[in-house]
Amino acid sequence: MIFGRKNRKPITITDKKVVDWKYAVCGYCSTGCSIEVGLNADGKPVASRGKGNAPVNQGKLCIKGIFEHELSGTAGRGVEPLMRNKIYDSFQPASWDQALDRTAAEFKRIQEKYGRDSIAVVSTGQLLTEEFYTLGKLVRGVIGTNNYDGNTTLCMASAVSGYKRSFGADGPPGCYDDFESTHCLMAFGSNLPEQHPIIYWRLKEALEKRKFPLIVVDPRVTMFAQFADIHLPITPGTDLVLLNALAHVILAEGLQDESYIEAHCNGFEELKATVAKYDPVTASRICGIDADMIKNVARIYAKAPSAMSIWTMGINQSTHGTDGVCGINNLNLITGNIGIPGGTSLSITGQCNAMGTREWSSCSGLPGYRMLEKQEHRDEVAKFWGVDADFFPAKRGLQQTDIFPAIESGEIKALWIVATNPLTSMPNQPRIKKALEKLEFMVVQDGYKDCETVNFAHVYLPGALWGEKEGVQTNTERRVNLVRKFVEPPGQAKPDHWVFSELAKRFERGQAMTFPETTSEIFDEMKMLSKGAKRNLDISGMSHDLIEAQRGIQWPMREGEATGNPRLYSDGIFPTPNGKANLLAMDYIEDNEVPNESYPFWLNSGRVVEHFHTRTKTGKIGNLNKFSPTPYMEMNPDSAREQGVKHQSYVRLVSKRGDAVVMVQLTQRVPHNMVFIPMHYHDCVNRLSLGLLDPYSRQPAFKQCAVRIEQIDQKEAGRLNVERRAF
Amino acid sequence: MWKVRDDEPGYAFLKESTAPAVNYYEAPIDLIARTGGALPAGREMFINEEPGVGNNPNRNKQHAFHFTADNCIGCHACEAACSEKNDNPAHISFRSVGYVEGGTYPDFKRMNISMACNHCDDPVCLKGCPTRAYTKHVEYGAVLQDPETCFGCGYCTWVCPYNAPQLDPIKGQVSKCNMCVDRLEVNLKPACVSACLGNALNFGVVDDLPENREQAKVSIPGFPDPEITHPNIRFQQIKNMPDEVTRTDGMAVKYHKGDDGQYRPVVDQKKGIDKKWSLSKLSSRENPLVIFTLVSQTSIGAFFLAFWGAQFGVESLQALRDSIMYIPLMAATVGLAGIGMLMSATHLGKPWRFYRGFNNLRHSPVCREGLGMLLYMVFAGIHLLAMLPSNQLFIQLIGDWGRFEIIAAVSGYLALIAAVVGLYYMYRCYRIPARPFWNHWQTASSFFGTAITLGSVLVGLVGVPTFMVIGGDFAQLFTIALAGIVLGSALEGLGLWRHAAAMDTANNEGSVSHYIQCTVFGKSYVLRNALLLLNVCAAGVLLTLAPTALTISAALLLCLLAGVTAIIGRALFYVLVIPTTMPGAFFWKNKDFEEHAREIGLANMPQVGVVAHAH
Repeated sequence: MIFGRKNRKPITITDKKVVDWKYAVCGYCSTGCSIEVGLNADGKPVASRGKGNAPVNQGKLCIKGIFEHELSGTAGRGVEPLMRNKIYDSFQPASWDQALDRTAAEFKRIQEKYGRDSIAVVSTGQLLTEEFYTLGKLVRGVIGTNNYDGNTTLCMASAVSGYKRSFGADGPPGCYDDFESTHCLMAFGSNLPEQHPIIYWRLKEALEKRKFPLIVVDPRVTMFAQFADIHLPITPGTDLVLLNALAHVILAEGLQDESYIEAHCNGFEELKATVAKYDPVTASRICGIDADMIKNVARIYAKAPSAMSIWTMGINQSTHGTDGVCGINNLNLITGNIGIPGGTSLSITGQCNAMGTREWSSCSGLPGYRMLEKQEHRDEVAKFWGVDADFFPAKRGLQQTDIFPAIESGEIKALWIVATNPLTSMPNQPRIKKALEKLEFMVVQDGYKDCETVNFAHVYLPGALWGEKEGVQTNTERRVNLVRKFVEPPGQAKPDHWVFSELAKRFERGQAMTFPETTSEIFDEMKMLSKGAKRNLDISGMSHDLIEAQRGIQWPMREGEATGNPRLYSDGIFPTPNGKANLLAMDYIEDNEVPNESYPFWLNSGRVVEHFHTRTKTGKIGNLNKFSPTPYMEMNPDSAREQGVKHQSYVRLVSKRGDAVVMVQLTQRVPHNMVFIPMHYHDCVNRLSLGLLDPYSRQPAFKQCAVRIEQIDQKEAGRLNVERRAF
Repeated sequence: MWKVRDDEPGYAFLKESTAPAVNYYEAPIDLIARTGGALPAGREMFINEEPGVGNNPNRNKQHAFHFTADNCIGCHACEAACSEKNDNPAHISFRSVGYVEGGTYPDFKRMNISMACNHCDDPVCLKGCPTRAYTKHVEYGAVLQDPETCFGCGYCTWVCPYNAPQLDPIKGQVSKCNMCVDRLEVNLKPACVSACLGNALNFGVVDDLPENREQAKVSIPGFPDPEITHPNIRFQQIKNMPDEVTRTDGMAVKYHKGDDGQYRPVVDQKKGIDKKWSLSKLSSRENPLVIFTLVSQTSIGAFFLAFWGAQFGVESLQALRDSIMYIPLMAATVGLAGIGMLMSATHLGKPWRFYRGFNNLRHSPVCREGLGMLLYMVFAGIHLLAMLPSNQLFIQLIGDWGRFEIIAAVSGYLALIAAVVGLYYMYRCYRIPARPFWNHWQTASSFFGTAITLGSVLVGLVGVPTFMVIGGDFAQLFTIALAGIVLGSALEGLGLWRHAAAMDTANNEGSVSHYIQCTVFGKSYVLRNALLLLNVCAAGVLLTLAPTALTISAALLLCLLAGVTAIIGRALFYVLVIPTTMPGAFFWKNKDFEEHAREIGLANMPQVGVVAHAH
């Protein structure tokens, strides 16, 4: 002691008395961080830490992961099934038998009366892969509705469609290790530090070892944009114009990789003819990036020995999201940047297991990236499951965003929602509410009974959450990783795969099929189905224990291989009919709701680091929620002055759909004609959003619509703000 | 001992030190040397009472954070890792990230600042703490605080320029960053540093540059003057920031780049320029201190006048001393001092631990203030008792117990000495560099001025009616009381005038307080100033007039006005101070949002991280 006192003062530092650490892959975003959850002597989760030797996160965790052990104690969990006759009645507790019997009976009744497809199932990216597989088996093989989709349509559908159009199949071809070898990274509509902080850290580590140019395309000056060597503040919704112009410059200046194009690409001439129309000057007038800058960026990218692109919702959530993805793929194909270290088109996915649902849920087809449209795939899966192949439809049905209009039109009479919250997450909330009121029967299966969509349900089934069941998830770089069970679900809540198997037993077809009880048995079934010549999505070399031992394994890992593979298409062979990738010629069509005199502001939306999706989890953990406990909007101080709007006051935003009350945060982060609102809050941004759909992916354009700003009485606004925050 | 994992990542380990012998401020980095060899190396720290010495080879060197401001992404991982490790509830955080920003879209820059305790070379928290809850250790130079010793006065939260000590209104005690000394003992960096995702936060022996870093500045925009405490934090900030950067929180402060490249706080007119009353905002959690200071000063002023004036041979005061009302007057002064002590105790998080308030006489003005006031009360009480047997009513009712003049005189003088010491240190308590609005001689002129004004008022209020009833020269006492009001109010007015002039040009948080004073509280401020002027003038005019029924009534009204003036003035003194804290964020560490959340009831949800109602 230098000063203070002569006698010793006790030094007390919290000791959480952890006796056991359990392995799990994080249950929030798609980065796929390995976590160790510390249990005390009572078996209570009390601590979280990043797994030190995990390849993805190397001991690091973001704020959400750091407090993930607190999930098991969060408020609002469902502890018993609930039922009611009408949605205006109050819920009554029910046994699992009562709830499942009623669900099966209602499904049967409605299917008999209105036809097989009158039931829709909307799933999620939150379950374990084994559960997705089981749900797919139940929906495709037992219930037999074709209107089955996941909420991944709201986040990753354009990436999926784009990959399929360019490469012939879904699956991000690159990996995080590519940061270590790339010579240029271009990020489109991706705010890594906020959305995927651990991926950002991997990039930062690479940049500190070896500097390479970082280019960020974003209409907002995010921290990522600010740290970029070049920031392109693009006009919302015009990415395709920029991408075509970049290709234009590359081809005009002969910077393309001729031999790669020759050997591995279809459609070069068509592409050339189309991008010829997008000279930098023409493009600059649409996308707002000056011509010289477009040329500069195109040259940097094309001349780099290897270059990679990453993107997130700025591309996907757009009326031409799929075209944007294909434009990025074009850029990388013509510069020979696919399947090489540091050269890739890497879509940064959203949910922890968005990839798992894409791979195995049968939402868009059949398990293991198989397609309903292919007879051989239908036959193969039908035989494996013991179902009549004719039971499968020959064409994929409606996607999530088309299911709600089909409820409006009366085609769909019953809806089963699994671990998603469309009442908060779907664009144009007023329309969704109206549609849900029309349903004859709705069942919501979720870990939280205070999830807003439950308000419209006839039956509520309480699901187990992260760490309350065991199974795998796949991350952005195709790494299959494991969550161990370390705590019991509360009350009578059950793992989702148990619910699916139990429901299957209530159908005749289900009784004829086998539904394994444990997820590791389900995983074995998936492994068998993943085998096959030329199949990339091959997990037959993996097992739960091996996955934990290697802290996650990247598919493909074929039987007999020691580990997985970091990249796809390194051999230049693509899963298309002729084995070549498709260059796509795409014209830009202006179809957004753009600001006008009556609605003068762009409404942009996005995430904040402390929250996940609709806050059913993070809104209840104080050490996360406190950083943004209420909805707010970023607004430019100059336009605020014109509108008479003050910092930290409330305003009412109005669009052609509805209104929302938000608190104003003035910042020059956003341009004069734009406001930005985090997407997480109920009764907020999606009361305003339009969500025009991408023609291929049916993903909504959340980030582009027009609003105006109205004054609101501050006391009234404060009251509304509190009323609208159940958590 | 903290357990190092088998797969502990490399970045979590402290690097070997190549630090120089002395730090930026020329103090030895070797802490044993800093004690002049008074303490040995290799001592056990007994963290959680566990014996053993860690294997850190640099454990007797001063350690410090290194923050690369250019890199911070504001991801909250450091704050989260800290709160996770220390199991802190949502409303407490040892480390916080705020930001400053500037420029115009798209030429916009935000700089996030992550800040915890800087384990300063000159820990003002340690010096200020009356309970001696703080210790600066020769191990790592960590400044550690023991929450179990703390009685929750919050003085450390006043003096710290970085908002490091966290006063928990629920627990009623302070806690703070412990430098993760348990991790340091096994060569691991603190939890916040190991968690950093922007590669911004680092840690090691002070002035030993981390790998890949080239700068170790002692300040960045938004950081308070490091000369106050010599904090153990160094910065790298190479990227240019706009010449002016603003804060998103409610504080009306922004920072402007000077010719020397340093950023200094200036007023940001966030609250507009309209003059308001904001009378309800005058009431704050510091209300007990408003009462404490006012009643203590009144008591001291009255005691001085009544006792010393009589000792000095002022006729009317001698007459007052010999009158029946001297005892009630003394009882009032002792009682007021007692109420003051009680108020200062209710201000504590743990009032029943008030006795710990005298543990740091060596350093803490709070201790000296407390002891001075306590001794004043005791001696004034003895004086009261010693004077009691001389009281005619006492003699009539109880009998003649004799006279105790020597005891009365000695205790009276001792009370005077204690009062001067107490009042002086009451003033010293507010000479806080981290609170520029208080850190001015005006605080003294206000405290002494109030003592003179209100002391005179009290003596006048007791003495003049006494003489009117029992007969005596009330004219002299009337004059003395009025002269006291003139003198006290003029002294206070003079201080306020110079203070306003100084704050207006100070270019620090004091100017910001003054701006708030002139806008949010503008009308209340003008009212107080006008009242003060009125008091001086009216008392001055009354001085020239003979005491008649009319002038005495006017004087009574004047006494009331003097009281009102003092209350408004003192409330302003407490609500206006703006500390040199770190910039906050939009919600977290934003006082305006906290206030709003309490107002609308959002704070009733604990996950909002705002304590609904302070105790």
